[in-house]
Amino acid sequence: MLDLLQSLCDGVMFGATYALIGIGFTLVFGVMHKINMAYAAASVGAAYLGLIVFALGKGVPALAVFGAAFVAGGVLGFLVYVLAFHFIPLAYPLATLMSTVGMLLLIDEVIVHVTAGMPQNYPSLYDKMFDAGGFTVRGDLLMIAAVSVVCMLALLALLFRTRLGLATRAVSQQPIAAQLCGIQVARVNATTFIITGLLGGIAGALIGASVGTLSPLLTTPLTVKGLIVTVIGGLGSIPGAIVAGFLVGGLENVVQYWRGVTERDMYVMLLLFLFLVFRPGGLFGGAKGRD
Amino acid sequence: MRNSLLPLALALATTGVAAQEKTITIAGQGAKSGVVRSFGLNSEAALFAAADQINKSGGVTLADGSKAKLKVEYYDDRCNAEEGISVIRRIAGTDALIAVGPGCSNVAEPMFGILQKKAGDASDTGLQMPVFTDVAIKVGLAKISEWAFRNVPNEATMYGSVFGWLKTKYPDAKTIYGGVEEDFAHSRASWYAVMKEKASAEKYEVLGESKWLLADTNFSNQVREMKKANADVIAISAHPFTTCGVLKEMQRQGVKPKVLVGLTSSSSLETLQGCGAQAEGIIIPTSFAPVSKEGIAAAEATAKFNGSADLHSMAAWENMFILKQVIESQKISGDKAKVQEDRAKIREGLANLKTTNGLMGTVKRTDEREADKPYLFVHAKDNKWAVLHNPSGN
Amino acid sequence: MDFYFGLIQLIGVHTLLGLSAYIVLLTGQVSLAQAAFFAIGAYASAMLTVLAGWHIVPAIAVGAVVGAALACAVGFPALRVKGLMLVIATLAFGEAVRLFFFNFDYQVAKGAVKVGPLGGEGFRQIRYFPENGWTTGDVALFIWVLVLAAMAFLWWVDRSRYGAVLRATGEDEVAAQAVGVNLTAIKVSAMTVGGAIAGIGGALYAHYTTHIEHSSFNILVATFAIAYPIVGGLASVFGVLLAVIFVQGFLVEALRALGDWRNLLFPALIVLAMNLRPRGILDAQALQRLKSLVGRS
Repeated sequence: MLDLLQSLCDGVMFGATYALIGIGFTLVFGVMHKINMAYAAASVGAAYLGLIVFALGKGVPALAVFGAAFVAGGVLGFLVYVLAFHFIPLAYPLATLMSTVGMLLLIDEVIVHVTAGMPQNYPSLYDKMFDAGGFTVRGDLLMIAAVSVVCMLALLALLFRTRLGLATRAVSQQPIAAQLCGIQVARVNATTFIITGLLGGIAGALIGASVGTLSPLLTTPLTVKGLIVTVIGGLGSIPGAIVAGFLVGGLENVVQYWRGVTERDMYVMLLLFLFLVFRPGGLFGGAKGRD
Repeated sequence: MRNSLLPLALALATTGVAAQEKTITIAGQGAKSGVVRSFGLNSEAALFAAADQINKSGGVTLADGSKAKLKVEYYDDRCNAEEGISVIRRIAGTDALIAVGPGCSNVAEPMFGILQKKAGDASDTGLQMPVFTDVAIKVGLAKISEWAFRNVPNEATMYGSVFGWLKTKYPDAKTIYGGVEEDFAHSRASWYAVMKEKASAEKYEVLGESKWLLADTNFSNQVREMKKANADVIAISAHPFTTCGVLKEMQRQGVKPKVLVGLTSSSSLETLQGCGAQAEGIIIPTSFAPVSKEGIAAAEATAKFNGSADLHSMAAWENMFILKQVIESQKISGDKAKVQEDRAKIREGLANLKTTNGLMGTVKRTDEREADKPYLFVHAKDNKWAVLHNPSGN
Repeated sequence: MDFYFGLIQLIGVHTLLGLSAYIVLLTGQVSLAQAAFFAIGAYASAMLTVLAGWHIVPAIAVGAVVGAALACAVGFPALRVKGLMLVIATLAFGEAVRLFFFNFDYQVAKGAVKVGPLGGEGFRQIRYFPENGWTTGDVALFIWVLVLAAMAFLWWVDRSRYGAVLRATGEDEVAAQAVGVNLTAIKVSAMTVGGAIAGIGGALYAHYTTHIEHSSFNILVATFAIAYPIVGGLASVFGVLLAVIFVQGFLVEALRALGDWRNLLFPALIVLAMNLRPRGILDAQALQRLKSLVGRS
């Protein structure tokens, strides 16, 4: 029994990484009603770029890597916007689906070319393990959970307390009316991508730190998990993404404990499919399946 | 005027002769995409380096006594089965006499499947193209077709030897627990069919195994199982990415076995780059380490072509020299109009080989067209692979 | 020559994969489950020819039937889910099917050797074609007879009332419902037809690669399935063919001459293609222009 609870605890904690990635996916969707399939890849790419600080010399503190990843994330986010969204008319969601898939593959290939596909060691920020009454909890995952909550609060503050947030919400609700009010849609969208990119950079670096090694193998599973979390949480809902992240993480580990690793994803996928069929709006969306 | 014409004429004459130079094309096939890109890059470098060395010492001798230079053409199949088949068909349409590759076992299996099963069977419309594998290591592939040959290490022999030696070196280690990458055919087979069996044969008590998938990132459950089992020996049958993930989790949970054993493919730069600190002390059997004069020279030559020397790429190097030997002993014509005959001769030559030269000693060839290569044990020490023990006593 | 026949075979099978997603896309559903129907067609037909010694044609027919059956089963629950959520739901279903095959063991002893699917190791030695004397050219012809049949069927559908209703549903469901279109029948039937076509494609895939495993039917394959109709354009079935030739013929094979750059150019050109032609290479406008050109001559 203790094992099962520990499994659940470990899974929920690891779900913090999914939550962090899910926030970015859901924010882009909430604003532009488009999915950015390249988001997780750009986040991992930013984490790789963070490692460049080590080329600057020895004795560089680990924090510098995270800072560099943060900035790189913003740059990559802007790049994805320009190459995959800016020139494609808003009325073609299929086109941006494919263009972002193309960006995902492109970022993957660039990573593979630069690193020859080899795994890269990633510095960890916080190594402590906490013992709480027979349970061990990973300190770094606790920190990631804290960071996701902080990010959520920061984003909500941005969206609801600033002029940029007001403009963003206006564009997402009524792009044409927003333009009539003088809001530059392209600039708002670009800013959304930069902000989610910055968030993605942090997410990528923290995930790299929690896994301990960066590899091109990370991009596809993170993309899938990010999409799952976005959809379960409710499209466009940031608190939904966080709750869903923890939920998916916990579920995954419990199913693994119960049925083993080869059947784990099969059950998780089946459950996801059924969840979507019976509650298409996600946890925090309407029950009607509006998208 | 006339004085300068003579040397000019001579120069033209000699270049005319040089232009008649014969070439034998050997194709290389591997993956230069995805996580296995380094395998393709290293094999390619080794093939070019070996060809360069052979050409510098005169090239290969053809049936009519003339010399030919070896030309290498490398193809990227991106570790994709359909593309691998397309590539071998493309190679078959060129004048290449043999293909060295592929890198991925999931490409090798379908690729060997489209080859003619029995050489000379007129009712079988499979492709008649010899393939000499350097990297794809999943057990038992060469027997799929008589046109397929492999120069990859025999893990059963190596791990049998590892566990036998460990029994003498660590006599108080009695139990073993495994960690296995379930969705990668090579690692999966290496635990169940090789490590587990050989460990039991050496009277280790197998306490069980933990499983994960090759892209997994969370190993808390698995390492907790390892901790509970508290085995003396832990054997991790996985590739560098998940091996590093598991080792880091073991560090987190304080799991420190007496002995740590790894998978052959993980005895490369990747593991050191991903988790050098945590990999300290892991013991892996390998069919290549730069210990002999030839091995060191091969490694240096490959480095000049921007590749690194490991058990996979050095198999490609060995293959080139084996092919030189076969080309000469089989009296290959090198005639571009007789490519298919030459290919059949090379196939027969390879099939008849009983031993070949390896960088670590003589390699025995089996009836199933596989190799039995000499090996030694390396361990990770100070972020490098160092030789731990050489079972042949050299 | 063998190489070209092989390429023709590959383009044919991928066209079937693309066509299976095409008909579903017409109704406005983006389905990432086509790889799953491809998979079940592959395993079913391979088991019949290898384990039960069937002839290839009935085996492919069974592949089509099981693909259609599975698609029909997915089609009904899929009705409740729209847009991005359908993408995820079909992705989840596709992955569940792939993982089912990852765990699927069914081996039968044939003489001294055991044959059949073996979980993670896959299903090897599906050698119906070479064992029965089919040359590469024979197989290419066989595949293309089936591809042309599928294309002809879908082209005919496009010119029929059913096709108009399909596209109407895709354009605006509410309006379509308002004029009395039975959305359930339309969407589920499109899904079923797509499943059948994918099943045929999968059966051919299994036999021409001789070895299938769960990873042959992963998310990347599912993504390529929808990429072909999206990059090619939904205006006509020829769009899918064009996209397959562009991706497999040009980006994969022709660019091989560029060596290492090919891997970088491949996704870059896809991004470029979607920027330059967001409605696909052969969109409605281009099709009109082509038609008027042909009409003139």
